[in-house]
Amino acid sequence: MAIAIQGKQVVKRYGGAAAVDHMDFTFEQGKITALLGPNGAGKTTAISMILGLVRPTSGEIAVLGEPAGTASLRQRVGAMMQDVKAPDGLRVAELLQLFRSYYANPLSLEQLLDIAGLHKEAKKRATSLSGGQRRRLAFAQCLAGNPELILLDEPTVAMDVEARERFWDTIRALAAKGRTIILTTHDLSEADAVADHIIMMAAGKVVAEGTPQELKAKSALRTITFRTNRMVVDEQFMSIPGVNKVERVGERVRLHVHHPDHVLTVLVQSEWGASDIEVTQAKLEDAFRALTGHKRG
Amino acid sequence: MNMFITQTKAECLRIVRSPFFILFSIFMPLCFYFLFASLNGASTEIASTQYASFSLMSMTAFSLIGTAMSQFGIRLSFERRDGWVSLLKLTPLTPAVWIGSKMVAHMAVHLLTIAVIFSAGSIVYDLDLSLGQWLVCGLWLWVGSLSFLAVGSLLGTIKNAEAAVAVANLLLMGLAIMGGLWMPLHTLPMWMQKIGEWLPSYRYAHGAWNMLGGSSPAMLDWLILLTAGLLFMIVSGYLLNRREAV
Repeated sequence: MAIAIQGKQVVKRYGGAAAVDHMDFTFEQGKITALLGPNGAGKTTAISMILGLVRPTSGEIAVLGEPAGTASLRQRVGAMMQDVKAPDGLRVAELLQLFRSYYANPLSLEQLLDIAGLHKEAKKRATSLSGGQRRRLAFAQCLAGNPELILLDEPTVAMDVEARERFWDTIRALAAKGRTIILTTHDLSEADAVADHIIMMAAGKVVAEGTPQELKAKSALRTITFRTNRMVVDEQFMSIPGVNKVERVGERVRLHVHHPDHVLTVLVQSEWGASDIEVTQAKLEDAFRALTGHKRG
Repeated sequence: MNMFITQTKAECLRIVRSPFFILFSIFMPLCFYFLFASLNGASTEIASTQYASFSLMSMTAFSLIGTAMSQFGIRLSFERRDGWVSLLKLTPLTPAVWIGSKMVAHMAVHLLTIAVIFSAGSIVYDLDLSLGQWLVCGLWLWVGSLSFLAVGSLLGTIKNAEAAVAVANLLLMGLAIMGGLWMPLHTLPMWMQKIGEWLPSYRYAHGAWNMLGGSSPAMLDWLILLTAGLLFMIVSGYLLNRREAV
């Protein structure tokens, strides 16, 4: 596996507080990696250090084989940050042409307008676009130089469902062409849907990483849902070893369990008349809570 | 090079498309010019020249100072606040090319502004200026506007963009009134004259007024404009570097 970005014992302190605390991370080339975590976990700080916008207090970051933040890297890296307003007085096409002029091998204006889906708006002022359109324009700007490495900080904020789908398609197509993509998100379903690899962050540290499937398996949470023809109180279910939580969904009972095999045996042998039994893997959200130690509810 | 040209073009477009530029750098100075010229009489003699020529220099100076402070200074402050500057830092555009193209764009727009205001004056009034006088006065005002870009760059370091707007407007009004750009300095109270003489805005217009009267800019005109320009450039450069280091 080729490594696109590697960070070793990276620390960033603001005053006394550590936004990123002795973090080790590796991002693989040609993959979509999601940096997942709640707000304040240090995702944006990590991205800013990779981009060389912020210098680490200690530790080392290598990006595409160079130290982070060198001038030559800026030709090869495209980034979309949060909260950037469009500059006044420029039309969409003018802004894209401006960004194209920064790079040695830019994508064509046509390609960029395609990516942004803004052909009709090419002559409109960038400041007059809607929130979602502006986000798409920012995305096209970050691809202007045809970058090898693409960093996206909370990319789909302000996008509607349709725009989001279209955006993921573009991201997947870019990854298929060998581009390395890193995105931050606090939306678990988003990370689950699009990422090849997820790095979970909490309080400035990596708490878990792996493919979405691996992470779900790691948390070892399953749910067992079934019907019962007797009145059984929750305490009876809770007394089975490995049961974490009991929920009632209509007439059905849902158990959150750690060792489904064992719990199933108990259920089938019991006199509760459990029928219509269904076992499902936990959602990534449950995995996230289990791994970061957040209590449910 | 392509980067520099495209960036300069974009910065030019942004200035001339700004409603503030049209209003405060072209429309308002022209209105004041025609108002003052008709109130005082276009052919009234002042400083060995006619009022309409004298005031034309004052109002061109006022316009250029305003452009430098708002389109350069205030815009810089807003661009920092809106994340535009950090976004550019992620691209291969270097700070030198960025600031350089902004300055070149300003100088191009300033030249255009001088042409527009001078033309308006010469069309409406019968001004007895030789071609040489038009050219040296225009050149003086054009080159001198660099000093006020330096003032603008200092305004651009203000972190709170709204505060930058307030400071810029107060400063512009102060420099214009105290520098004798609206009413000639000798008509102002003595204490204002005492201060006004030392302001770069007065020195800026004074150089042009002198040339209207057939002499050349005074030593002090050169000195104060140069000192102000260098001083503001060094201070703003220092402030920005210190902030970068954090």
